[in-house]
Amino acid sequence: MTNRITGRAALGCALALVAAPAFAQDSWPSGPLHVYVGFPAGSSPDTLARIITDPLAERLGQPIVIENRPGAGGVIGIQQMLANTGEDDLTFGTTINGPLTTASRMMGDTGFDVEEDIEPVTLIATSPLVLAVSTESGIEDLEAFVEAAGAEADAIAYGSVGQGSGSHLTAELFADEAGVDMLHIPFTSYAEVTTSIMGGEIDAGFMAPSAAMPHVEGGNMRMLGITSSEPFAQAPDVPVIAGQAGMPQDFRAELWNGFIAPAGTDPAVLERLNTEINEILAEPSVQEQLLAIGWQAAPGTAQEMEDRIAADTEMWGGVIDRIEAQ
Amino acid sequence: MGTWEGLLTGLSFALQPGVLIYCLLGVLLGTFVGVLPGIGAMAAISLLLPITYYISAEAALIMLAGVYYGAQYGGAVASILMRLPGTPQSAVTALDGYPMAREGRAGPALFAAMVSSFAGSIIGIVVLVMLAGWLSRIAVAFGAADYAAMMVLGLVAASTIGSAKPAKGFAMIVLGMLLGCIGTDVNSGAMRYTFGQTELLDGVNLVALAMGLFGVAEVIGNVRDPERQAVARRIGFRQLAPTRDDLKRMAFPTLRGSGLGSFFGALPGTGSTLSSFLSYAMERRIARRPDRFGQGAIEGVAGPEAANNSASITAFVPTLTLGIPGDPIMALMLGALVIHGVQPGPMMLDARPEMFWGLVASFGIGNLLLLILNLPLIGIWVALLRIPFRWLYPAILIFICLGVYSVRGLTYDIVSVAVIGLAGYLLALARFSPALLLLGFVLGPLIETNVRRALLISRGDPMVFIERPISAAFVVAIACLLVLSAVQVVQRRRKGVPVD
Repeated sequence: MTNRITGRAALGCALALVAAPAFAQDSWPSGPLHVYVGFPAGSSPDTLARIITDPLAERLGQPIVIENRPGAGGVIGIQQMLANTGEDDLTFGTTINGPLTTASRMMGDTGFDVEEDIEPVTLIATSPLVLAVSTESGIEDLEAFVEAAGAEADAIAYGSVGQGSGSHLTAELFADEAGVDMLHIPFTSYAEVTTSIMGGEIDAGFMAPSAAMPHVEGGNMRMLGITSSEPFAQAPDVPVIAGQAGMPQDFRAELWNGFIAPAGTDPAVLERLNTEINEILAEPSVQEQLLAIGWQAAPGTAQEMEDRIAADTEMWGGVIDRIEAQ
Repeated sequence: MGTWEGLLTGLSFALQPGVLIYCLLGVLLGTFVGVLPGIGAMAAISLLLPITYYISAEAALIMLAGVYYGAQYGGAVASILMRLPGTPQSAVTALDGYPMAREGRAGPALFAAMVSSFAGSIIGIVVLVMLAGWLSRIAVAFGAADYAAMMVLGLVAASTIGSAKPAKGFAMIVLGMLLGCIGTDVNSGAMRYTFGQTELLDGVNLVALAMGLFGVAEVIGNVRDPERQAVARRIGFRQLAPTRDDLKRMAFPTLRGSGLGSFFGALPGTGSTLSSFLSYAMERRIARRPDRFGQGAIEGVAGPEAANNSASITAFVPTLTLGIPGDPIMALMLGALVIHGVQPGPMMLDARPEMFWGLVASFGIGNLLLLILNLPLIGIWVALLRIPFRWLYPAILIFICLGVYSVRGLTYDIVSVAVIGLAGYLLALARFSPALLLLGFVLGPLIETNVRRALLISRGDPMVFIERPISAAFVVAIACLLVLSAVQVVQRRRKGVPVD
């Protein structure tokens, strides 16, 4: 599969080089754009994509079709983007961090090579996770949590949304920094994790703020800390984990979502998309819409996204190494 | 707000023309996509999501909910007429609904499905209103051990389904469980039997499995056997209305099914599937002549249909009272609320009572609309059987492809439905029951995941299954059921009656 895609990409490259001056400035986009999303319609990554592509379509003067190809944690969406790449630079994708950073470690072969097959366009938004416990646990703050977890190995059982998911790896990163051992219980959705915490079956979990907040308001759960480096606008009262309870000052673990293109896309097109999306992300109404579904706008250059991919691949790779060594 | 006051507020809200129209739109679309096999509520709700941005959050929820329970009505139609279930629940309906249609009793079968669906929904609404608080506490109290025990009970109870011999039924359950192992293991993250195919990482596509085993296999069987075609055509119209005897037979199965559905529906997860299978198994077990089941027993249509519809109503309990979606479609609906700035959760009932009560009232209105809409349609649905098979079969196959493709947009799934269909035909030739395969496929992985999860949480102590009261109750029930079956077998052997 890799070979085939790379071959196509190479062909695309060659064609792009020949044809670039002609259509890059004048006629692009020559038709509707197709944006592949590796999650089902109505999911958070899908809603995020639509918040960006609606104004983008207006700016480009061409409709944008969202192609939902859910499966394998978002990997299928990227595979399908690569498999359906044409020669006129109209195929793109949005993706969460997993497929570009940890998927090849978790799955072995994803069918694509992030460095060779994917052009980052720009980060769209980031989302931190919160550490939440049941109010009945009696754990009031992060200090108490680390103490309880440190009492003995596996004293605290935490839930995640799956092996290798952001909520799993973040918890293991946290445990490593805090010097404790926690028992991992994999679930498949935040709904299951929160139910299990409220039912008293498990003790804690790292989760999207929006998954925990209804239960915090209902008085059943408590948020002890957040993994971003700054307090998060959606949950401003939750203290950052960095620097608390003996955690390092630079502790940061965020999920992100970015706009990508297949390798071989005309650089002028990439440039144009980066500019347009950055301008869209600067609009307060767009920022509000993103925040409502738990994402904070994170505009930037393509290089910044590439750096983020590299840094996260290394950081999460280290965490996976430690899990595998256990 | 008290219950009556709440209901009145809800009714006056849901009956406003501007809201009623969205309820009607929702149930109409729900029926429509339900009839088209495979294109389930999920696809329809994703299609409607963009519209919801332009209407109030309450109207949006009422419309999307209408699609959700409306699809349950429609699902019965394709199962009964053409043996095309898009979900495991409708596969249960096909067990006796389709034989009824073959006997020329498609009319009464559809009537039974519609009326018991309606009755089940109404009972579900009553349960929702009266017991929502209690049910939501149970839903939270259910742990991994409890789920595991409950699903084992479901498997044991349902293992007598299908007319095949017990050994054959058992083989199908095991085959289903093995197929269920394909994909990423939740506990270890290991990829099992995927052979490097990314498309299999999330397991075999359930819609492809259901449509292949039932629909495609049936088409192959009929094409090969012209005799069967002729029979189906000659007797398609013998009667449309149910007889007095039919009505009598429907009443209690509907009530029992509604009870099962109302309870299991409130549990996040597979409540609806489980209650359909349980209802069918229960009716078969207490029937005076269990051998009629699978040959066109109207009880086998009425009970499960009542169960899955009442379950589709009480499935809103955890969603509305706790903000915990029980299945992916519920999650999609909650997503629509979030876009409107409504935070679903335990506070919603207090913060936006008109939303909760408006929705509950719309359940009643929507189900009434569905009944009024669907009863006159029975004649038209039955007339479908008149279409010559050379037109009908290609059309069925096209709908199957569309339905399977609509789930994730992968041609891979179309190829797999063809392969599964062929396998399903071979199984049917050897008289194996595909419904049990489906049940094993759905419950097997869940049992595995929950047993392992329960043992992880208990730090390896197997006593957890007996120490937790809910789990212990299920374990006792399983034991009783096994003893009962053993006694029955011994008694029949003594009397010289062949064991069925």
